[in-house]
Amino acid sequence: MAQDPNNPDQKLIGLMAQFDDPDSLLAACEKVRKAGYTNTDAYTPFPLHGIDDALGIKPTILPWIVLALGLMGGSAGLALQYITNVEFYPFIISAKPLFSLPANIPVIFELTILHAAIAVFLGMLLLNRMPTFSNPLFRVPEFARATDDKFFLTVGVADEKFKPKKTRELFDSFIGQTAVIEVFDDPSSNEIPKVFKFVGIGVSVLALIPPLLLWRAYNDTATVPRINPIRDMDVQLRGDTQTVSHVFADGRTMRPRIAGTVARGEYVDPILLTGIVPEMDQQNVAFLQEEEPPKEEGEKPAEEANAEEDKPAEEPAAEEKPMEEKPAEDKPTEEAAAPAQPEEPEPNWVKIAPIEINMATLERGRNRYNIYCSVCHGLAGDGDGLVSQRALQRQEPTWVPPTNLHTDYLLTQPDGKIYNTITNGIRKMKGYADQIPTEDRWAIVTYVRALQKTRTGTPAEIPAVEMKELEIKGQ
Amino acid sequence: MATVNEVIDTTIDDPGNRTPLVIGGHDYGSITKLVCRINEDKTPFAWYVAFAASLTVLGFFFSLIGYLIFTGVGVWGNNNPVYWGFPIVNFVFWVGIGHAGTLISAILFIFRQNWRTSINRFAEAMTIFAVCCAGIFPGIHIGRVWVFYWLFPLPSLQLSMWPNFRSPLLWDVFAVSTYATVSLIFWYTGMIPDLATLRDRTTNPILRIVYSILSLGWTGSARSWSRYEKAYTLFAALAAPLVLSVHTIVSFDFAVSQLPGWHTTIFPPYFVAGAVFSGFGMVLTLMVPARQLFGLKDVVTLRHLENVCKILLATGSMVGYAYAMEFFIAWYGGNMYEQFAFINRAFGPYWWAYWIMVSCNVISPQLFWFRKCRTTPWLMFVISIFVNIGMWFERFVITVTSLARDFLPSSWGMFNPTWVDYGMLFGSFGLFFTLFLIFIRFGPIVAMAEVKSVMPHPHSPVHDDHHAAVEHS
Repeated sequence: MAQDPNNPDQKLIGLMAQFDDPDSLLAACEKVRKAGYTNTDAYTPFPLHGIDDALGIKPTILPWIVLALGLMGGSAGLALQYITNVEFYPFIISAKPLFSLPANIPVIFELTILHAAIAVFLGMLLLNRMPTFSNPLFRVPEFARATDDKFFLTVGVADEKFKPKKTRELFDSFIGQTAVIEVFDDPSSNEIPKVFKFVGIGVSVLALIPPLLLWRAYNDTATVPRINPIRDMDVQLRGDTQTVSHVFADGRTMRPRIAGTVARGEYVDPILLTGIVPEMDQQNVAFLQEEEPPKEEGEKPAEEANAEEDKPAEEPAAEEKPMEEKPAEDKPTEEAAAPAQPEEPEPNWVKIAPIEINMATLERGRNRYNIYCSVCHGLAGDGDGLVSQRALQRQEPTWVPPTNLHTDYLLTQPDGKIYNTITNGIRKMKGYADQIPTEDRWAIVTYVRALQKTRTGTPAEIPAVEMKELEIKGQ
Repeated sequence: MATVNEVIDTTIDDPGNRTPLVIGGHDYGSITKLVCRINEDKTPFAWYVAFAASLTVLGFFFSLIGYLIFTGVGVWGNNNPVYWGFPIVNFVFWVGIGHAGTLISAILFIFRQNWRTSINRFAEAMTIFAVCCAGIFPGIHIGRVWVFYWLFPLPSLQLSMWPNFRSPLLWDVFAVSTYATVSLIFWYTGMIPDLATLRDRTTNPILRIVYSILSLGWTGSARSWSRYEKAYTLFAALAAPLVLSVHTIVSFDFAVSQLPGWHTTIFPPYFVAGAVFSGFGMVLTLMVPARQLFGLKDVVTLRHLENVCKILLATGSMVGYAYAMEFFIAWYGGNMYEQFAFINRAFGPYWWAYWIMVSCNVISPQLFWFRKCRTTPWLMFVISIFVNIGMWFERFVITVTSLARDFLPSSWGMFNPTWVDYGMLFGSFGLFFTLFLIFIRFGPIVAMAEVKSVMPHPHSPVHDDHHAAVEHS
C-alpha cells in the first residue's frame, strides 16, 4: 500500500494517531497543542464538543458571509419587485398603488432566506474546500473508519515543530492511542486525464450549439414559419381574412359593415366629410349612408347639381359647351340616379370651408393644387394645364376642357360645392377622395379661393405691411 | 446485544436520570452497522414488491398528467363556481405534510430536543418528497404547463410582462420554491457525513463512486466539523421562520381573497398548526412500520414515538381550537355572510366532509391523552392514518365549501370530482412512495453522526489515571 516506507518515491506528509474513544482524542489534542504544533487536525465520526478549544480552532467567518448574502437577497427582492412592477410593467390592480411595501414583504422575506441558505451551503463547502475528491488520507486503509467509530489526530510535516523522531515519540505517548500511522503523499499525477479533457471540451462546444441556434432564430428573418413545437394560440378556430366561411349564407368570412353603423374611431364631422350642412332630422342618416356606398350616393348630389348648373357654367366657356355637355348628360342617365334628378333640390352647401384657414392651410393647398389640379386646370387656374393643352393640340374628340376657375360660375359657388367636386368629380373629372385626404381637399378649396382673389381682389384688401413688401418687390 | 436493556422503559421519566436516546447497549460502530445494514444488505423482496407497486401508481399518475396536458383542465371537475378543486386541495395537503421534516430539523434543533436526531433524516426526506408532490399540483393547475416559467420573474424575449408581486399566488411561488430549495440543501448538508460513512463502507465500486461524489470528499476533520456545525445552526435558524412562513403564505392564497370562510385573520396560525399536525401524522405513519421493518427500535425508541404523539395531541388540539374559534368569530363578528359560511360548512351540503374532518383531526388525537395509546405502535399508526385523512378533508372543506356557496345564490353549485381528480390524488402517493423507497434503499435513513453525538461517550483510558486532569467537557 501507499504506506510502504521503503518506497523512495513516497513523500511523508504527516503522522496520524488512531483512537478508539473521543476522550482520549481530546486529551491528545490538548497535548499536541500544548507542545506547540499548529499544523494539526483531528478526524471524528461526529462533531466532538470541546475539540475546537483542544486544537485551538478559530471560529468560522461563515455567519458574516451569510449575513451579507441574506441582506443582499432581501434588497434584491425589493429591487426586483420595484423595478418590474413600477418601472417595467406598471399595472394598476384594484386601484392599488404600484408600489406598497407590505405587499412586497413576503417575497423579500423568502428571497432573504433563500440567499442566506444558499450562502450557508456554498460558504460551508468553500471554507471546507469541498468537494475535494483526492485526499492522501483516503489512501490510509485505517482512515475509512474515521466516519464510523475511530478517532484520528494528525500532525503535518509542514509544521515548524515537526521532527520525525520527536513527534513520533509524542504520538507513541498518547493515552488510548491504538495505532500510529505515517501518511504519505499521493504519488499519482495531478493532471486531469486527457480523455476527460477532450470529452470536456467536446461537450462544452456541443453545449454551445443549441443556444447559438436559438440566438440565430431570434435574430434572423426567414421565409418559412418558425418551428413552433407548442402552438398555443397560433392555430385557432377562427375565420381569417380572405377565407371562406360556412357560417354565413354568402360564404364570406369578412363581413360587410352593418348598414347604419359607424365604427369606433371612424366618425368624421359630416360637414367636413361632405361639404353639406345636413337638415336637423336627416343629420345622422345622411352621414351614415355615406359610409358603405360613398361613391354612388355621394356622386348623386354632385351630378344633379352639375346637371342643373351646367348651363351657367357653360356660358363663360362657350366654345367648349357642346363637348362639355354631352358627357355630363350621359353619365347621370347611365346611373340609376337619373330619374330623381329634376326633383332633387340643391343640397345645403356649406358656405365657407369648415377648417381653420391660415397661411399654413393655404401653403398646403397650393402644394396639393400644384400636384393634383394644375396639370389640367393650370397653375393659375385658367383651365390651361399641360394635359389640356396637349389634348387640344391632338384634337382628342372626347376631351372635355377643364373649367376655368376664374369664371363667375365658380366664383359664386359655395365652398362646399367646390369641395364636393374635388371629392366626387364632375363630368370627365374624376373624384379625388381616395387620393387626397379630407383636410387637404379643403385646403385646395381655400387655395382656389385665393387664386380667384388674385383676379378679383383690390389693392385696398391687401394689408398695409404686405402692400409695402409688394411695392418693394415690384420696384 | 440488547438483552439487558430490553427491559428499559424509555417512556418513563426518571427525574435526575436522563432517559437514554439510544437503547440496546450500542456503541458507535454498532450504530453504523445498524443503519448501514439497511443499505448494504441484500435488497429484500418486499422492497421490490413495494417499489413495483409505487412505480405502477407513479406511471398512472404521469399518464393522467399527460392526459390532462394534452386534453386540457376540463378533465378535472373544476368548474364554475368551484374553480379550486382537488388540485389545490392536494397541493395544500402535501405542502402541509412537508412541514414536519424541516420543523423537526430546525425548530427542534434550536430547542435542543436531542431526540430529533433519530427521526430527522427520515422526516426531512419525507418533507422533500411531499414538497415534490405538492409542487406538481399548482404546476399542472396553471393549464398551459409548457409556459410554467411565466410564474417566475424572468425577462422574456416574447413577453414584455412581469408577474404581479402584490398577488398572494406569486408569494406562494416564492415561498414554496424557496422552501423546497432550502429543505433540499438542508437535508443534503445533513447527509454529507453519513454519505461519507456509506462511501467508506461500501464494497460496490459503482455505489462507491456515487457516494464519493455525493459526500464531496468529506473527511470528518475537526475544522470541517466546526464550520459544518455552524452551518447547521444557521440553517436551522433560517429554516425555522421559513417553515412558519410557508404555510402562512399558503393560507394567504385564501385569506387575502374576500370569500366568506376564507377571509379570516386566523388562517396563518391555523394553517401552520394544521401543517405541523399533518406532517407529524405522516411521520408517524411512516416511522411505525419503518422502525419495525428495518430493526431500528434501538434508535427510534418508544419514547421517540411518544414524543411525536404528544406533538400530535398538542397540534390537533390547536387545530380544534381554530375550528371552534372560526365559529365563534363568525357569531361574534356579526357578519351574516360569515355566519352562513360556517353554518353551511357544518350543516350544508358538505356536512359529511366537515364531520369527517372534525372527528379525524380533533377527536381522534384526543386518544393520546391516554398513555396506552401513546405507547402502542399499531394504535398510533391507526390514529395517524385518521389524521392524514382528516387533514386532507380539512383542505377540502376550506376550499370547496366556501366556493360552492359564494356570493350569489344563483351561481351556487356543487363540486363534482371526476375520475381524473381521484386518480391524481391516488397517483401522487405513487410519486411520494417511489421517491421514499429509493431513498430508504440507497440513502442513510438515520442521521448516524447526529445519533452518535448524542450518545454518552464510552469509557476512556484517560479517565483511569492521573491524565484525567486534561479531560474536557
